[in-house]
Amino acid sequence: MPKIDLINVNKIFLGKTGVVHALNNVNLTIEDGEFLCIVGPSGCGKSTFLNVVAGLTNVDDGEVLIDDMPIKGPGTDRVLIFQEPALFPWLNVIQNVAFGLRMAGLLKEESYERARALLRIVKLSKFEKSWIHELSGGMKQRVALARALALDPNVLLMDEPFAALDAQTRDMLHEELEILWLETGKTIIFVTHNVREAVRLGSRVILMTARDGKIKREYKIDLPRPRHIEDNELIDIARIIRDDLKEEVLKVSEEVI
Amino acid sequence: MSNLEPSRVVSKVEKERENDLRTQRFKSVALKLLFYGFLVLIWHLFANLETLKHFLFPTPLEVLVTLWNGISDKSFVYAIYASMKRLLIGYLISLIIGLPLGLCLGRIKWMDETIGSLSLGLQALPSICWLPLAILWFGLNEIAIQFVIIMGSILSITLTVRDGVISISPILLKAAQVLGASKIKLYTHVLVPASLPYILTGARLGWTFAWRSLMAAELLYVSAGLGSILTMGRELHDMAMVISAMLIIIGIGLFFDKLIFGYLEHFIAVRWGTK
Ligand SMILES: Nc1ncnc2c1ncn2[C@@H]1O[C@H](COP(=O)(O)OP(=O)(O)OP(=O)(O)O)[C@@H](O)[C@H]1O
Ligand SMILES: [Mg+2]
Repeated sequence: MPKIDLINVNKIFLGKTGVVHALNNVNLTIEDGEFLCIVGPSGCGKSTFLNVVAGLTNVDDGEVLIDDMPIKGPGTDRVLIFQEPALFPWLNVIQNVAFGLRMAGLLKEESYERARALLRIVKLSKFEKSWIHELSGGMKQRVALARALALDPNVLLMDEPFAALDAQTRDMLHEELEILWLETGKTIIFVTHNVREAVRLGSRVILMTARDGKIKREYKIDLPRPRHIEDNELIDIARIIRDDLKEEVLKVSEEVI
Repeated sequence: MSNLEPSRVVSKVEKERENDLRTQRFKSVALKLLFYGFLVLIWHLFANLETLKHFLFPTPLEVLVTLWNGISDKSFVYAIYASMKRLLIGYLISLIIGLPLGLCLGRIKWMDETIGSLSLGLQALPSICWLPLAILWFGLNEIAIQFVIIMGSILSITLTVRDGVISISPILLKAAQVLGASKIKLYTHVLVPASLPYILTGARLGWTFAWRSLMAAELLYVSAGLGSILTMGRELHDMAMVISAMLIIIGIGLFFDKLIFGYLEHFIAVRWGTK
């Protein structure tokens, strides 16, 4: 059953450097319960894609549907985790995690209880009273993850959420995310630069083209789970995708030169 | 020396920091005392010069006595009360209108282009220039003075809060929207706390302007209040009274500016991680 449908979607930015076709006639169906990973060179339109699905950016042409209904704006059925942590500096860690629940009208105690459970998952229980400026970059990103998960959305939109983490924490969070996905059947769209991470997590990987905002190729990943980032088969698939990606990255660097 | 246990190293560093801090504070207080003591001494010597007209240069002691008399016969106390009452009423009205207005200007484009540009234009007018208009409109009464105070403080409050809202990082607003903040909750749970450092600066600026507008108005339009003590001192050729009133005005200004607003700003800077 399709969960999210993009039909001939176009998004154009008129920047100072000229016209950027961030999404160019994108047609894509994301099945309910799918774990979709998007890779592509920097500036190719990955964040734009997520913003569109999150309802934060309007498209210039085409249709974006969720459960066959057009997306009109943000909704807590799909929560976006931003490329930067975007935490609220006037709230401490647990208040940040509980923010969405409080907005939804939950009482303080109830929301804190759920927030605590999520802080345990991201291994930050000890820091629930800390202020945001007292956390490291990786810790902030984990708080942002917990804050999004607290709302228990059907669709999770993740924009390079683990880019700032060390390898061990990242491996651990990959496992947690995989378990969460297997157990809850959420639909996840996960953007990353790291091809191995994409293959480690995704049931499908999409490669975007460098400049013209198109989907270049897609790869079905049928590896058994639980996976590990150092599995041989996984590395082999990642190599194929990385070669295709390299082609796109080279295109960008040629343009720059 | 180099073989201390970790916990002892920590406590040693803590102790050193504490001592450093204490010496620093002591030095700063001592320096200030010395400076002001010196200033009063110079004043004293100067006031005792034969060549000067004495009633124009009272000694520090005479000023102190005048101050004490004014307080004990309650005339200064009533003046302070009258001025503070006016100030608080006008200032609170400014806050109550200026704060929400600033929030709206920062978010709603058409309001910014109309009311925002009007505020910016009116800010070019020193608030005391409103007094003639206010007197003609309302008569020589309290309302006229309130009007001047409000016109003096509301614009800076509004415009600073507006700047605060505009400078909020857009990603925080997006995050709040994604997490389900409704339009109203966006104001109360995100815009206000996110721009709180600016709100406080605006409140402080507004206070300063309200205070100055009040003093100017009281000087021009005499009736109970600190400004009228200044005027009275001038008319009686009582320089000690003039200087006493000036000292009281400085004292009140410092009290609010440094103690109340200074403390709040420090608190927020620490909490927001900007310090
Ligand atoms: N608000 C905007 N105004 C103008 N141009 C924009 C805007 N947002 C994005 N763009 C442009 O659209 C293109 C796609 O941006 P996007 O942020 O989606 O890239 P990305 O794939 O997420 O890159 P990265 O991997 O570096 O995060 C870029 O070329 C960018 O310059
Ligand atoms: Mg991006």
